[in-house]
Amino acid sequence: MQLRVDDCTHLNSWLHQWDARFKLIGLLGLMIAFATVDSLWLVPWMGLVVLLLYKLSQLPLSFLIRRLRYPGLFLVGVLLFIPWVSGRIPLWQWGPFTLWQEGCLAALLIAGRFLCSVTVGFIILGTTPFVTLVKAVRSLGLPPLLTDMMLLAYRYLFEILANSNRMRRAMTLRGFGYQGPPSYPPGQTRSNRPPRFQQIQTLAAVTGTLFIRSYEQAERVYNAMRLRGYGYRPSQVQVFQSYSPHRTSQTLRWDAIALIVTLLVATSLILVNHL
Amino acid sequence: MHVPDGILPAQVSAVGYAIATPFIGYALRTINRSTSPVEVNRTIPKAALLTATFFVASSLYIPIPPFGSVHLLMNGLLGAMLGYYAVPAIVIGLFFQALLIGHGGYLSLGINVLLMGIPAILAHHIFQLRHRFLPRFNRQTVYAVFGTLAGCIGILGSALIFFGVVIMTIPADINAATERTAIYVLMLMHLPIALLEGAFTASFIVFLLRTKPELVERTGLRSPLPSPQKQAEQG
Repeated sequence: MQLRVDDCTHLNSWLHQWDARFKLIGLLGLMIAFATVDSLWLVPWMGLVVLLLYKLSQLPLSFLIRRLRYPGLFLVGVLLFIPWVSGRIPLWQWGPFTLWQEGCLAALLIAGRFLCSVTVGFIILGTTPFVTLVKAVRSLGLPPLLTDMMLLAYRYLFEILANSNRMRRAMTLRGFGYQGPPSYPPGQTRSNRPPRFQQIQTLAAVTGTLFIRSYEQAERVYNAMRLRGYGYRPSQVQVFQSYSPHRTSQTLRWDAIALIVTLLVATSLILVNHL
Repeated sequence: MHVPDGILPAQVSAVGYAIATPFIGYALRTINRSTSPVEVNRTIPKAALLTATFFVASSLYIPIPPFGSVHLLMNGLLGAMLGYYAVPAIVIGLFFQALLIGHGGYLSLGINVLLMGIPAILAHHIFQLRHRFLPRFNRQTVYAVFGTLAGCIGILGSALIFFGVVIMTIPADINAATERTAIYVLMLMHLPIALLEGAFTASFIVFLLRTKPELVERTGLRSPLPSPQKQAEQG
């Protein structure tokens, strides 16, 4: 597994400069509005809003395509499933399988909502450094236990990932997952057998070793944190600071205006949908 | 097994958050009540690093030829190992997955927390039952049996909530009988995966029992040694 974080947060668009708290509230509001939409004719308008936001963010198209790979699989599953199970007007029939008109429309609506919501989510991720995002969430009232755990987990995530990748490579070099030579005739290869219990035990042992290493590292981290005074002072209320060093009251005003505009768009979508 | 954003109607996501918020609050309160503030401070780094470990470990794939491979959910294992800390661990894990990989999402986070968290807490309580059987039966067998149960319940509980929510909320015109059949079929399909997860959880717990038994003998990340506060009291 490879994790790519903050790979586009160095860009300097207006959305990158937008205060993370306002951005989070505004764009989440927009996502909620997208989720409430149940009229198909509103989907192109949602797409237009998302397109405008994506253009403003200056994020490359490759960023979106790369990120859409995993969630897209679920979407494909839904698109293949829904048109066949729900509806009243049949469009096409073959044996026990019937393609329903309502099902097709529902699948299109879900696809539109999904793509718009997910793209807005990726805009938040692509324009805000991860640590700033966590700090913004904390300033909006997330419990300190959760944010402390989140920041610490993020701090050590890549180290543990590198450790895990090393162990996995060692496993592969020792023959784990080897499925026999490709020259075996079909139906007789080792690859047609279910996973052996020994394989599961090996994976469990590797995960257990990773777990023990992390536990021991956690003890060392805690001791180091204690030596630096962790837990001996009452927690101070931290004032959120945006990552940009050029913030002024003038830019904060523009941030607030942008938030109001975004929330107005979101409210309009909800109202128009219910008309 | 995550619900992505935009798939469920907003009302369902809102209900998800409405139930998930008190659920998380209850878990955090249980953590704070069951241990002293010093102990909570001590366990935060452990819980954080183990959260990161489980996040990484859940990307390990078990080859299932000829179809390919499956990755483990590990919520039953999380519940068994971390106790109520499994809930913040799941919240963080899901947040990371939404941000870093694109699994799940922001709006569906509430539903996803419930579908992973409730079975994890259930698995924790089932794993705790092992203490009743330890005096009468072989230690390793008891741990293996309850580990298997925790792993199976984790995945079956999640699958039940996931398919229940998705099937009952997405297709509006689907009838109740079709809904039930679809849920039964999908649950049956997950039975082999649940057994696989159960076998993995049992192997993991037995491995820890052999190599570092103090990690599985006391669940919920309590320190195996007396805490500094108790040491001071004793000293």
